[in-house]
Amino acid sequence: MRIIRIIAQIAILYIFYYVGVFFVEITKLPLPASVIGLILLALCLQMKWVKVEYIREGAGFLLAFMTLFFIPPIVGIIDYPELLSLEGILLMVTIFISTLFVILFTSKLSEKIEQKELKLKEKKEGEERVVESNHLHP
Amino acid sequence: MLKAIIFILSTVVLFLLFNQLHKKYPYPFLLPILTTTIVIIAALLLFHIPFSDYMEGGKYIQHLLGPAVVGLAYPLYNQRKLIMKFKYTILSGIFIAMISGLISVYVILKLFKLDDSYILTALPKSLTTPIAMQVSETIGGIPPLTAVFVMIAGFTGALFGSMIYKLGKVHSPISRGISMGSASHGVGITKLKEYGEEDLSIGSLSMGLSAVIGAIVCPIFVFIFF
Repeated sequence: MRIIRIIAQIAILYIFYYVGVFFVEITKLPLPASVIGLILLALCLQMKWVKVEYIREGAGFLLAFMTLFFIPPIVGIIDYPELLSLEGILLMVTIFISTLFVILFTSKLSEKIEQKELKLKEKKEGEERVVESNHLHP
Repeated sequence: MLKAIIFILSTVVLFLLFNQLHKKYPYPFLLPILTTTIVIIAALLLFHIPFSDYMEGGKYIQHLLGPAVVGLAYPLYNQRKLIMKFKYTILSGIFIAMISGLISVYVILKLFKLDDSYILTALPKSLTTPIAMQVSETIGGIPPLTAVFVMIAGFTGALFGSMIYKLGKVHSPISRGISMGSASHGVGITKLKEYGEEDLSIGSLSMGLSAVIGAIVCPIFVFIFF
């Protein structure tokens, strides 16, 4: 029974995927169809148009094996030996430097933003408390 | 037809074996994405099988990637309460990571005078592999090379992240989660386990959100700069 449920739920995910394909086809926007399907499904879950029970097991099954599905296209690097050339090495060094920079820059800046957001929250909660106490003792 | 079935079965069996191995010994260099890919490439080279022959079977496996990416909506939906808790910090952090990553890659590769097709291939490096490959395809990059760069970005975070947090004196779990999730995706956030649960859950949330945001921001960036 469980296997039939998983297959039916994967079919639902396929429907969202093909809506994404259709969307990209008619708008000609350079967006990946699967991500359009993802956004659409997230929206439907949030609005309660689709119950989470309808996709939970299917999504769980596909996500558990996600890595398997992109192994075949990755094997395609076999046709790109330039990865081992000077250009390939420059590219890899760039990725390395950029990633280190992004981690440092983002973590430092978001620490600052987080402190601001916490202060904002405290202020808001403080105001709410004032309003409440005013309400209790007019 | 028989060949296609053999390629499908051997890929699935190899993946399941290496997946078990990684569960038993959870080192990053034993990730099934690395081990399975390397063994398949070695086998194709050894038996002189062209990639196009392999894909006669491989395309059926790859076909499930579409609905699997759609399925990522499920964990994101589950984490919606966490998003609301620190919405400004998380969203602005992800945007900062996205933009600084795109600009740094663009500037460095332009300085090295590399071909535009290579720059387009490198731009989605911080997104989770399946989405990065699809973004690479839509903006005119080379998807399998993008996957290699995604792995390098992941390992950079996993191996050097804690050093950066020490040097930069980063003590907030939220900041560590956002920066690691949006710069080094799934490979990087495995390292966040050592800091704690809050780091890890913010990390996986940031990874998912930044993949979705990146899939939209990358093509816009390409539209403006190319």
